[in-house]
Amino acid sequence: MHIHKRTFGDWALDIFVYGFMIVLGLVTLLPMIHVFSKSVSSDWALVSGRVDLLPVGFQLDTLATVVTSYAFGRAFLISAIVTSVGTLLSILVTAITAYPLSKRHLPGISFIMVLFVFTMLFNGGLIPNYLLIRELHLINNLWSLILPAMISVFNMLVIKSYYEGLPEALEESARIDGARSYTILFRIILPLSMPVLATIALFYAVGFWNDYFSPMLYISDPALKTLQLHLRDVVMENDTANAINRSADDLMNMSPESIRAATVVASTVPILLVYPFLQKYFIKGVLIGSVKG
Amino acid sequence: MKKKMKWVALPATLSLILLSACGSNGEGAGHAENSAPAPSTQSPPASEAAKPELKALMRLGPNFEKDPIAAMLEEKTGYKVNYEALPVDKPEDKLNLLIASSEPYDIVSTGGDSSSKAIYADYAKKGALVDLTPLIEKYGKNIKASLSPETLEMAKVDGKIYAIPTRSIESVGTSLMIRKDWLDKVGMQVPTTLDELTAVLKAFKEKDPGGNGAKNIPMAIKGDVPMVDNIVGAFGIVNDWNDVNGQLVPRAMNPSFKQYLAYMSDLYKQGLLDQEFAINKDATVKEKFTNGKAGVIVLHWADIPPIDDALKKNFPDAAYAYIPALAGKDGQTGLAQSSGFDRITFVPKSSKHPEDAIKWIDAKLDPNTFKNMAIGLEGTHHTFKDGNYYPILPIFNDERGSASNYLTGIDEKNYPIYWQARVRKDERLYKGWEALNKQQKPEAFKKNPLGLAPYLPDYSKEDAQLGQMVNDYAVKVIVGAEQLAGFDAFTDNYKKAGGQTSYDEINAWYATVKK
Repeated sequence: MHIHKRTFGDWALDIFVYGFMIVLGLVTLLPMIHVFSKSVSSDWALVSGRVDLLPVGFQLDTLATVVTSYAFGRAFLISAIVTSVGTLLSILVTAITAYPLSKRHLPGISFIMVLFVFTMLFNGGLIPNYLLIRELHLINNLWSLILPAMISVFNMLVIKSYYEGLPEALEESARIDGARSYTILFRIILPLSMPVLATIALFYAVGFWNDYFSPMLYISDPALKTLQLHLRDVVMENDTANAINRSADDLMNMSPESIRAATVVASTVPILLVYPFLQKYFIKGVLIGSVKG
Repeated sequence: MKKKMKWVALPATLSLILLSACGSNGEGAGHAENSAPAPSTQSPPASEAAKPELKALMRLGPNFEKDPIAAMLEEKTGYKVNYEALPVDKPEDKLNLLIASSEPYDIVSTGGDSSSKAIYADYAKKGALVDLTPLIEKYGKNIKASLSPETLEMAKVDGKIYAIPTRSIESVGTSLMIRKDWLDKVGMQVPTTLDELTAVLKAFKEKDPGGNGAKNIPMAIKGDVPMVDNIVGAFGIVNDWNDVNGQLVPRAMNPSFKQYLAYMSDLYKQGLLDQEFAINKDATVKEKFTNGKAGVIVLHWADIPPIDDALKKNFPDAAYAYIPALAGKDGQTGLAQSSGFDRITFVPKSSKHPEDAIKWIDAKLDPNTFKNMAIGLEGTHHTFKDGNYYPILPIFNDERGSASNYLTGIDEKNYPIYWQARVRKDERLYKGWEALNKQQKPEAFKKNPLGLAPYLPDYSKEDAQLGQMVNDYAVKVIVGAEQLAGFDAFTDNYKKAGGQTSYDEINAWYATVKK
């Protein structure tokens, strides 16, 4: 029911909001379409710069070559392992850590909280981190990509505040029914927290998948290269920053533009596909109707 | 953002660590030099019987694990080598990290450009590398036979050899590429002098053989490379530093540079040079050429196949040719010839098997092994005809395509000949290479005199910044944003910005090598 007629100002605002969002959407979407079109275009069209938004000289060979290549396949597998193991462990550890911290009445909890927050503000820095990983003998070991990233304090705080929003009555009723803390956490709290856990899991997954920096530091073994490292190598190959120093051999072995675009596409699409599956959790409210009046 | 900050702090922290590490290493090194060789000399049978696994950090390396070359080398040398590779992006950052934290690599290969040389000399001076002089003497029979004394001399830091350098193949890479069919349309020949080039460009502009109308571009160049290969040769300023009466003079201090700029800005004014060249990237220039908009561009022969594909697809009748070394007013010509190191291989102090590292490098330079590594076996990977090697495709590409990644020193006599098999894998590549390297008068080839220079600290420090300064100035003059009358003032600025110290340093060295 409209209480008052829409004024000119309302219309103008709507047009502005829609227009702005559409432009913003295009700004992020168009480059992706461009890269995708490049990956399915012929090389001659790329060299002559004819590919804008639509593929020219459509072909799928490049994409097929990239996806079936040994180096890509192995890097993909490594990234998939790191992402799935890392995400599972991270979400588990983060969710469990957040639980006691959400209980304000526990003795000393605020001090422990400070310890966590402290690591958000201060850290050892790059070199000490590297030395630590080295002393733990985790260089060239996939755990070096997972263990340091297992708890993000920020994500933990998000989960913690979600727990705090859960009605106290739920736990109390469970406790009256004889449930102990573990049961309460795993049977009641975690299932109720699916929306936030799904969101945080997505954060973790995207983080692990896109992580370039730690593999760059800790992984030198080509057999353990993650997809992002592989991608970086393929894409940077053509960076002209020091093309002058490049030997004729390097130039001759350089992969064409379409291979680079195809590698970008092939390494981005998998993580994009995760979004729709987790989307429903973002929207659904689980708590509706769980506590009556 | 946070990560960037970390990188900014990296060099400072690193040098601290490197220093402290070397402090302790330095002392340890004293002991190590006395004690480390002792066990292996006392028990040669043990090391003979079981060759240790070596750890190698190479410059590039897509697929060492499954590579047939790695397998072949393991069989021939008897050493199992675990290859690791530096990232393509900012390899020196990671290298610093690995060296600073004393990762036990036995072999480390880096690039051979002047910044890599600077890093190498820095490591050597700080005591992070093993002195290879005695090891080469002892185990380096093939090394000494393959590398010229001159090469090893250039690798010396404070009189000691700390690295096995790989010399680059001396060849001309880039020159001007012209549309031959355009020339035919305007009824002219491939230009051989600067004046002829100007005439051809004028004809391209006036007669518009490509039918481009307002979009017609007689010549397109890159915005970040205002020094056009081949044309600079006609002015006697082929390289950044050129010999003028026995002194090495940088372009900015060379009066010929002023004439060059006058010529180029004139081309620009007449509309013979791409009016938008200042914003051209490498890809833009290629686009303009393959779309039939530009008649002349600067091109490396290694880029020919994709350009050829695209051009022929768009214009089936198109033909192209390299313009030969153009003669300037007084007959000067010049094509820049690469020279120096392609890569440098050293053994860090943290290596657990420095002697085996040298033995391995030496075994790779065994004439048969080396040839096998470079171009494979005759009959399987290549054929031999009239003194030339021809690749057998596709097995040559599949099994020896990445051979250059394995180089740790080359057979300097034979490798340039072996290497041509690599160019012959595509007829178009070979034609382009041949046009620039075989069909030119030998006096046109001008080696970069600094390619073989030792590490020059002042020059290395200022080179990038000064180069940028010269490029920026050149672009400004060519587009008319700055007048040539101010050239002397520019030269003064250049000298003050570090040009003079580089000049003094370089010529102090140059005086010692000049005959």
